[in-house]
Amino acid sequence: MKKLVFIFIIAISVTALALVASSCTSQREIAARKSGAELWAQNCIRCHNIPSPPSYTDVQWETIGLHMRERANMTDEQIKKIVAFLQTAN
Amino acid sequence: MKKIILVTIGLLVMGGSITAQDSKPAKTQFMVRGYGHAGLDYYKTPDGKELSFVGAAFAPIFLFKQGNRFMFEAELEFELQKNELEIGLEYANLMYVINKYLMVRAGKFLLPFGTFMERLHPAWINRLSSKPLGFGHDGIAPASDIGVELRGAAPIGGTNINYSVYVTNGPRLKDGSEEPDEAGMLNFQNYIDNNNNKFVGARVGYLPLYNSSMEVGASFYTGKPGDRGSEYKDVTAFLWALDFSFVKQISPIKGVVDIKAQYNQTKVSDAYYPAGEENRDSTGFYTFNNLSRAYYAQVTYRPSMACPTILKNLEIIGRYSQLNTPEGSKWESNVNEITIGLNYWISWRQVIKINYAFINGEGGHGAEEDAGKQKSNTLFVHWAIGL
Repeated sequence: MKKLVFIFIIAISVTALALVASSCTSQREIAARKSGAELWAQNCIRCHNIPSPPSYTDVQWETIGLHMRERANMTDEQIKKIVAFLQTAN
Repeated sequence: MKKIILVTIGLLVMGGSITAQDSKPAKTQFMVRGYGHAGLDYYKTPDGKELSFVGAAFAPIFLFKQGNRFMFEAELEFELQKNELEIGLEYANLMYVINKYLMVRAGKFLLPFGTFMERLHPAWINRLSSKPLGFGHDGIAPASDIGVELRGAAPIGGTNINYSVYVTNGPRLKDGSEEPDEAGMLNFQNYIDNNNNKFVGARVGYLPLYNSSMEVGASFYTGKPGDRGSEYKDVTAFLWALDFSFVKQISPIKGVVDIKAQYNQTKVSDAYYPAGEENRDSTGFYTFNNLSRAYYAQVTYRPSMACPTILKNLEIIGRYSQLNTPEGSKWESNVNEITIGLNYWISWRQVIKINYAFINGEGGHGAEEDAGKQKSNTLFVHWAIGL
């Protein structure tokens, strides 16, 4: 229990620091410029392994994209970029 | 039963035939995904040993997409339990994208109470063969329910926030009339609303780092679970959860570190439940502080940047979980579990898991009379695939 509380205190501290850092324009610009490939590598792995683009067709990636936008609660922009990348890389 | 199986096979065949025509995209798309697993379990308890092949579980997910905004999704679960084929409807819901920041869901859906049950429980995603103590369909927190939900996500500067708010039928309070040993428990498998009160819940998740490697989330779920017209109609329940995730490839250690944690707490307001004949005092009732807690913390390391391919595909996992149910109740228990694991990833969605779990504690149903020790060691060898 104490260990878990410790983990959450650390997490909240990091969050507070990150909130301050998020006001930094450069960080906003970096996030906005992220490619579909970067978003694919950074976000899919939050729950499962990074999917291989040839695993599905273009049309199937669109369906999976909508499903994952809902399931993983990702932003519209992130999903659009990731699906576009998977459709070009498959 | 045969009809259900035939309809499912029909849908699977139809899914295959439609996806085979992908060369000419249509606005209406149908796809079958899902997962399955099978394995071998070895249990060692003070009462003896048991070695058994288990699983043969199959969970198809049906996705029906109409245009870019509407989707219907459903997941069935087929599993052999005690020589019977059990079929469950994990979720079946409609979803519509309102705008860039908001979508609405209605039907039976996985509840965003924490992240484990909504995102991490499928066998090919869960790094271990078992769920943490207190999580899952028999846990102290909800997995799914019937209702309506608004959810979405938005960028804030270089970071992201996601949110959801929902209203559901809610769980039912067990009053002990059917199962005296479970008086005071919440039954989350109650899909027929037992009163006019609805449960309200919400979760907010925040990803503070620009590379989305970390997420912290907070959830709650509250309402009145007592049967309408009963003496428990004013009993209230308040559940809350905190979740944490950190996943990042770290070059100096040549691999991916994945840390997950979630804390759940369930509080049901005080109520008096009928005591069994053996414990009957002058009032004939008893009460207790109805507070339950369950949490887990898990660390995973995969040397994905190592040179030999075999090393890249290996993964080591450690998880600690604990469950505490109310002191003084007939289902009082204090149990903890340490699980270690070694996984081998055959592909990005196919894994062989070798896990060993040590469970220690005391309590369970009928704890008052039989405050038995719970001690078991279990070896799991499971093969899981995402479809």
